[in-house]
Amino acid sequence: MEKLRRTMLFVPGNNPGMLRDAHIYGADSIMIDLEDSVSVNEKDAARLLVYHALKTMDYGKTEVLVRVNALNTPYGREDYEAIVRAKPDAIRMPKTETAQDVVDADALMTKIEQDAGMEVGTVKLFAAIESAKGVLNAQQIATASSRLIGIALGAEDFVTDLKTNRSPEGIELLTARSLILFAARAAGIDAVDTVFSNVNDEEGFANEVKLIKQLGFDGKSIINPRQIETVHRLYTPTPEETAKAARILEASEEAAKRGSGVVSLNGKMIDKPVVTRAQRVLALADAVKARVE
Amino acid sequence: MWHTSLEERAVKLTSESERNALIAFLEKQGLALDGDVEYSMVITDFGKIIATGSFAGRVLKCIAVDEEYKGLGLSEKVFTHLTNEQFRRGRTHLFVFTKPQNKQIFSDLGLSLIAEVPSKVVLMENRTDGIRKYLDELAAESGEIIPSAAVVVNCNPFTLGHRYLLEYAAARCQKLHVFVVWEDKSSFPTEVRYRLVKEGTADLPNVIVHRGRDYIISDATFPTYFIKHYEDVVETHARLDVTIFLQYIAQRLAIQKRFVGEEPYCAVTSEYNKVMAEMLPAAGIELEIVPRKTAGGAAISASRVRELLRSGDLAAVRALVPETTYRFLVSEDAGEIIEKLRSSASRH
Amino acid sequence: MKQLTIQSTGIAGTLESSDISITIEQNEDKGIEIQLKSTVENLFGEQIKKVIRETLEDMGVNDALVRANDKGALDCTIQARVTSAVSRATQTPCYPWEVK
Repeated sequence: MEKLRRTMLFVPGNNPGMLRDAHIYGADSIMIDLEDSVSVNEKDAARLLVYHALKTMDYGKTEVLVRVNALNTPYGREDYEAIVRAKPDAIRMPKTETAQDVVDADALMTKIEQDAGMEVGTVKLFAAIESAKGVLNAQQIATASSRLIGIALGAEDFVTDLKTNRSPEGIELLTARSLILFAARAAGIDAVDTVFSNVNDEEGFANEVKLIKQLGFDGKSIINPRQIETVHRLYTPTPEETAKAARILEASEEAAKRGSGVVSLNGKMIDKPVVTRAQRVLALADAVKARVE
Repeated sequence: MWHTSLEERAVKLTSESERNALIAFLEKQGLALDGDVEYSMVITDFGKIIATGSFAGRVLKCIAVDEEYKGLGLSEKVFTHLTNEQFRRGRTHLFVFTKPQNKQIFSDLGLSLIAEVPSKVVLMENRTDGIRKYLDELAAESGEIIPSAAVVVNCNPFTLGHRYLLEYAAARCQKLHVFVVWEDKSSFPTEVRYRLVKEGTADLPNVIVHRGRDYIISDATFPTYFIKHYEDVVETHARLDVTIFLQYIAQRLAIQKRFVGEEPYCAVTSEYNKVMAEMLPAAGIELEIVPRKTAGGAAISASRVRELLRSGDLAAVRALVPETTYRFLVSEDAGEIIEKLRSSASRH
Repeated sequence: MKQLTIQSTGIAGTLESSDISITIEQNEDKGIEIQLKSTVENLFGEQIKKVIRETLEDMGVNDALVRANDKGALDCTIQARVTSAVSRATQTPCYPWEVK
């Protein structure tokens, strides 16, 4: 079944109350953060807190990722040591610049999994790209490890690196979004968009979600549960869309039964990509249904 | 709390604009930024200050939360931040100086009340057994608890003037408790001052020398004592200090009388004496002010001894201090202290 | 088993809802002493103390004065905060996966 990653909710790693409740808002994924939301003096405590929380808590169907500190910081290595053992679905690595960054993380994770007697490859990887260099290397990054399930854009650092800032229209992010999306699609993994930090600007947020959905992203990183509903609404196929997709698939199956390569619906020819899109709409609708159940 | 627009950070107190922003916020809350503050933090919402806290030494102070943001757990955040910063600086026994109406807030944060000056100030500490442990220590040093008297001294260093006061007091009670002020803010380090008092009174069998620690004229009970220029708040601090003395120390050690040296020069000390003259008798404790011992027509004082040390006149020093103090002053251990004295013009 | 001696003081946790603030101090030869203040003391006071004590024992700490101010923390939060406080007090990293 299609894995939903419409919403990836940031959860500060040193806050027990938020760790406890992170999954109750219905985000498809939660991303527990040990990086920017944890001050340097609390890195040790947050790491242990997240370790114990993951060992104990049942997040149900919600996918759990942990954003660790980069391996070139004093905290990165210990973060991997603790978090791999705590077995989240994936580790989100920040500030990925080269394929080598992914290779290094993969090798370290393999070693830790072996040390801990876990099956190698248990914990997946998700790479956040936050610089011009990283964006230009997106294709290599996306194929650097079999653990990789997706890549994401981290826009705040990225626009700083570009010597610009974020605009409501997001023109400054267009190339990065496109390149990351191409890299993800070419590698057959997911692409998740960056956060939108003004929680109170609902219209601006909805516009951005429409944009990234239109570009082809699988979902968006979010910083507040209030943003979940908007993303899910815009990403979930409407009943009309689902019904139409079902009719297209029916026609396609009928054609296959007849041994005919030509699919037609209501007397109109239907191209192969249209069928593929319809399959995706239904898969998404099924996933949403399964998620709600 | 999902308010990601909230940011928590230390204030750069040397930056005039940051300092002024903090002062303006505190003013709105009816507070001032105390002059001795060494560290401040703020929580901001889109850059606007909505909560703050500071500390000076072991005392947390100037803590305030914007009315509009009450109920978000900000005082917990402020307190946690300050406590962690203090622990990083190696200070684990902390005090809070605040208005009496904030008692409940700080009690919820885990602080225990030590004493209150009604409608003025409360002093709290982050231990439930802080003062009790101190009283246990005092009792253990004191032997049998019998009606006794007390003197509080700084002794920077111990002179014949101090010796005279203690001898005078010891002759007029069954047991004399001498408390050495424990703040390390004098030219002579605390341990040295304590040792010289002990050595200088070793021949007086009914004298017990205690460490003043946190609860007698410390930076927690009496912060302005160490600033040494007079402010209105000195009276409040003096009252707090005397309250603790009465409620805890005098009670535990059966102290019925307190002796003090006459203090004609220092405004802070004479305010302290004035407060004692009012509060002690009301609690049934006698206060006796002992005139200073003179030598060569002038009162013997530790500041005169330091002055002579500065000018290197050891012969003159010898006439003003007991043999025990003199032996220390000419020893190798005193070299660094005297060197420092010479290079500074401090009155302490 | 490895023994850990507490010689200085360590603090971890916060006073925010669902958290617990733990201070660990030296308590030479006097065993584990716990001073607890909790918003749920009547219901869970004993359970909280038990988790603190077991976490310390698992780490090889035999003597410690613990001041705990609980705001409704889950057991896993208590374990994490105690471990962090000990780690800070002893200035040695304490990894749960090395202990067991």
